[in-house]
Amino acid sequence: MDGPQPDKGRDIFAATDTTRVPFRVYEDQDIYKAELERIFYGPTWNYVGLDCEVPKEGDFRRNFIGEREILMIRKKDGGISVVENRCAHRGAQLRQALEGNAGETLMCPYHQWCYTLDGDLTSMPFRRGFKGKGGFPKDFDMTKHGLTRLRVEALNGVVFATFDRTTPPITEDFGKHMLKYFTRVFNGRKLRVVGYQRQIIDSNWKLQMENLKDPYHAGILHLFLINFGLFRLDQKSAYYFDERKGHTVLMTERGTESDEGDYGGVKVAAPDFTLTDHELVQPRKEFGDDVTLAIQTLFPSVIVQAQSNTLATRHIVPKGPGSHELIWTFFGYEDDDSEMRTLRLRQANLMGSAGYVTLDDAEALEFSQLGLAAAPDGAAAVLEIDGKDAQSGDCLVTEALIRGFYIRYRDIMGFEKAQP
Amino acid sequence: MDQIDTPLDADTHLIRHRVEQLQLDYVHAIDDGAIDSWPGFFTERCLYAIIARDNLERGQELGVMRFESRAMLVDRATATQHAAVFAPRTLCHVLSGTSIEAVDENGIRARTNVAIYQTTADGDTLLLVAATYRDLVVEADGALLFKEKRVIYDTLRLPDSVVNPL
Repeated sequence: MDGPQPDKGRDIFAATDTTRVPFRVYEDQDIYKAELERIFYGPTWNYVGLDCEVPKEGDFRRNFIGEREILMIRKKDGGISVVENRCAHRGAQLRQALEGNAGETLMCPYHQWCYTLDGDLTSMPFRRGFKGKGGFPKDFDMTKHGLTRLRVEALNGVVFATFDRTTPPITEDFGKHMLKYFTRVFNGRKLRVVGYQRQIIDSNWKLQMENLKDPYHAGILHLFLINFGLFRLDQKSAYYFDERKGHTVLMTERGTESDEGDYGGVKVAAPDFTLTDHELVQPRKEFGDDVTLAIQTLFPSVIVQAQSNTLATRHIVPKGPGSHELIWTFFGYEDDDSEMRTLRLRQANLMGSAGYVTLDDAEALEFSQLGLAAAPDGAAAVLEIDGKDAQSGDCLVTEALIRGFYIRYRDIMGFEKAQP
Repeated sequence: MDQIDTPLDADTHLIRHRVEQLQLDYVHAIDDGAIDSWPGFFTERCLYAIIARDNLERGQELGVMRFESRAMLVDRATATQHAAVFAPRTLCHVLSGTSIEAVDENGIRARTNVAIYQTTADGDTLLLVAATYRDLVVEADGALLFKEKRVIYDTLRLPDSVVNPL
């Protein structure tokens, strides 16, 4: 593979397990560049969007995979294509609007090169020149100058794409456990976008992914959740991995918390804080189980969140080693009744840039980046809670999910494991 | 339900002056960090919403905040001060003039542009949002209150979290 090769063949993880994560992986420019190549543009399925975002032929929506811009487009045959938003001629960005309809042709605004919705080059102005002069050489092969076309798979209305020919089919990549929980929310019901939120968070992209694999913080940092019993470390819970440990799902059940007075020594600032308007924290049961919070992290770039009745994908877009964008797509179902539509809007107060819960997260991620960026060479995060490995379990006081992430990360980055 | 208990003055200049004073009092309270006084600018049943223009143009009402009563605003003010973790910051609202778009039995429809700057403890200032207030203002007991305040922001990709009300 081209591009920077930091530490290829040499492990930057000090131990054979992943209980230590060197802070370098969050701030080193060469490692970041290698992550883009090996992970985002490598053999992984990246989130592109929901297919209900492009309902009609020619509809497109602009998005990112890693730092590359892509277009998700509804084709004539009803299928979806994903192409890079970059003209094959001189590299100009094809589409500037976030979304729209391209008609039957994608045309570059710069020199009007035209492509099919699949990315095949169909015409260029003055192809034969003018009065026998100029123009393209006779052997110019238009079939070799199409847009970069990605492999696409849609799973119950969710569109993923990959740059790599070798990426295994998505059902194989996710594995049985992940598919089971993915289809809990994406169960074939027609989806409806409720709205978007986007925010820049000044931390490395991996910290965002790790945060959703870190139940320990969720039951400590988020006083709002603890106060209203929406999430606590003493609730009935379960978490699972895929075989390669990069994907996880974590579920908890509200109302199962312990009656013991002490809550692990957590300092709750205002234990008597209560809501005067309780509508906000009164969810309606909508799936056929007692799970009230399910968080699925799909390596490398998307989190599927079902917290009470707020359903959302959180799409991670890396922006250099020290920053990322988080794009939330809040969704519901086409057949939601009006009460459910109101609930989803109201409960969105928990999430997003001002969310009662996720506000803390964005802040904590920035605290992390600010802290670790100033750490001396060789310093590392310590991840020893609940053992050294990454096995499925049912106790939330654990760092197993983050350790799992780094097993997959170390593997895909090609860092050779240190000898025991 | 709050009632409009006196007919509003037909003099648009006076109305504009009073609404602009309300806006100034409102933003100064937030900029001064007096978050507990924030709900008092609203009627008991009200709508306070911070919505991306991008969502609204698609007919989507999803907001960064969306509260439907003064009680929910009180909750937000309390939670921000007692159940949230964030780095200290201050806001500075810069308002445009207000245009009065309609005055009828529902109240006063007003539109005001606002640029909101945020400054961290280290003294770094950034433009948090460029936005427009779309307000419905009513008079109750001689004072003007917001019955609706929609903060429609252009800054789709927010550069930071939204901690305090805008």
